[in-house]
Amino acid sequence: MIASDATRQTNPQSSDQTSASSVVSESSSIGADVRRTLAIARNAFREAVRDRVLYNLLLFVLLLIAGAIFLGELSAGQESKIIVDLGLSAMLLFGAFIAIFVGVGLVYKEIERRTLYAILSKPIGRGQFLLGKYLGLCLTLLINVLVMGVGVSLALIYVRRGWDPLATKIWPAIFLIYFELMIITAVALLFSAFSSPTLSALLTFFVFIIGHFSSDLKSLANTSNSAAARVLFRGLYYLLPNLSNFSAITQAAHGVTPGATPFALAVVYMVAYVGVLLAAATLIFSRRNFK
Amino acid sequence: MRRNALLVSAIVIGLAIVTLLSRTIDARRANNSDQFAEEPLYVSAPTAKRLSLAFNGLAADWYWMRSLQYVGGKIVNYEDTHEGRIDFDGLASLNLGLLPQLLQVSTALDPQFMAPYEYGAMILPELDSNQAIALLNYGKAQNPSAWRLYHHLGYIYWQRRDYLKAADVYAEGAKLPGARPWMAAMSARMKGEGGSRAAAREMYMHLAETSPDEGIKAMVVKQAMRLDSLDERDAIHSILSDFKTRSGRCVLSWREVIQPMLAAHLRLEAASGAPIDPSGTPYELIKNGCDVGLNVNTKVPLK
Repeated sequence: MIASDATRQTNPQSSDQTSASSVVSESSSIGADVRRTLAIARNAFREAVRDRVLYNLLLFVLLLIAGAIFLGELSAGQESKIIVDLGLSAMLLFGAFIAIFVGVGLVYKEIERRTLYAILSKPIGRGQFLLGKYLGLCLTLLINVLVMGVGVSLALIYVRRGWDPLATKIWPAIFLIYFELMIITAVALLFSAFSSPTLSALLTFFVFIIGHFSSDLKSLANTSNSAAARVLFRGLYYLLPNLSNFSAITQAAHGVTPGATPFALAVVYMVAYVGVLLAAATLIFSRRNFK
Repeated sequence: MRRNALLVSAIVIGLAIVTLLSRTIDARRANNSDQFAEEPLYVSAPTAKRLSLAFNGLAADWYWMRSLQYVGGKIVNYEDTHEGRIDFDGLASLNLGLLPQLLQVSTALDPQFMAPYEYGAMILPELDSNQAIALLNYGKAQNPSAWRLYHHLGYIYWQRRDYLKAADVYAEGAKLPGARPWMAAMSARMKGEGGSRAAAREMYMHLAETSPDEGIKAMVVKQAMRLDSLDERDAIHSILSDFKTRSGRCVLSWREVIQPMLAAHLRLEAASGAPIDPSGTPYELIKNGCDVGLNVNTKVPLK
């Protein structure tokens, strides 16, 4: 330490060169890490497309067309509201199914096909691998959600036979649905890091359901007589994802958009929660022995 | 090729068998569905909201459309088994016992959904106006700035002939931001002349103006016809009374009073000279020509 300080003092120019080259190599190493992660993400996206995941869009479009044509007769002038409810609910449901069923297979398939060994033998960390897989599925979901969102907007314009303000007002709710799907994907990835696909799908589905019962967990915590139950329910309330933070479908159907602050808080919540889930998944996955 | 043809035939025949079986099963089940059709909903409104996860809007739409189908199905069934069409005032005979619960669940799932409140305000008073008031009060509590709900609640009280309460509700609604200026005028009218035809006319006019529902607009058109017909019958009655005073007898045919009827701007049928009601059907002379009445074929509602 002293010697190095001394060297620095005697030859400041060489010391600057060393630190500059270390900064360059560090930044190039970060750049390579990002490139490798993105390559995995790209492959995960391609794999989802090859697995015909985006075929669900066809079903969605058929649902919307049928809704737009037939709901007029059944809803007594409430077509726009029902198109939004139907479209955004289908978006969440289809997206949740993709996030769960594709998400739980992301890691498992690589292990089963033994392609994971080839990937991990290259300079790719396990965390990078998980992050890449996660981003790949998120990209698939983003495209899915965007196409569905455009479909709902067009259906609204069709039923109104002209411009409908709802066609733009639904977009904040659509993005909130996407953020919810990002959390569900991360949950699926976490479970798939240590469990079988069937069990992971089941557990993720439970988290999806419980995530929408958060307010009940809180009220259970507040009304319970037992201190242990209060601690348990309060713990579960904070530990499990509060997916009701992302529920804006009903309001969107009335043309009500979430305020900037709740929207921003939901984004921050999603980023923090996904960060925690991915960190936990990496921790578990790093300890797994694939021999 | 032959194998494919066999498979396609198997699919077609299989689907035909499935369809036939479904029809047979449905026919056997028909009695059961009638038996259970009127059973109260097992899921209460708060439970339905909890169970619907993030899909409460869609579930509310489902209950809303179910309400419409429930009433529509009853009307179709009634019209199939009885002669003639049914109007709003005949709804009480349809046994719509499940409707209040369906509307309650729909509004609990999506409290901002205005259509069920509006529908409830129109239909429920025919069954039980207290339930209609409860539904609208729930709507008011959930949507404190929705002045239209006050209009609908005022309409229910007006139908109950509780004009002072109707006036209070209109006055309360008139204070809300965005409320139409006529809300305050309606309050004054309810207080001063709640039972008058002018008040009724104004009430129906505002209902049609504020509602996107075609059923309500059709009801308003019929009620407007009824009010116009009442005015016309008053005018005709007065003409017939004048004739009796002058001649000491009642009229033998409409032709005897054509001139005063034309002077009163009444529409007359060319052939008989009979005055025509707002639905285009000629009025009838009743009580041996001393009074006027509606033809049995008229589309003007009695109530």
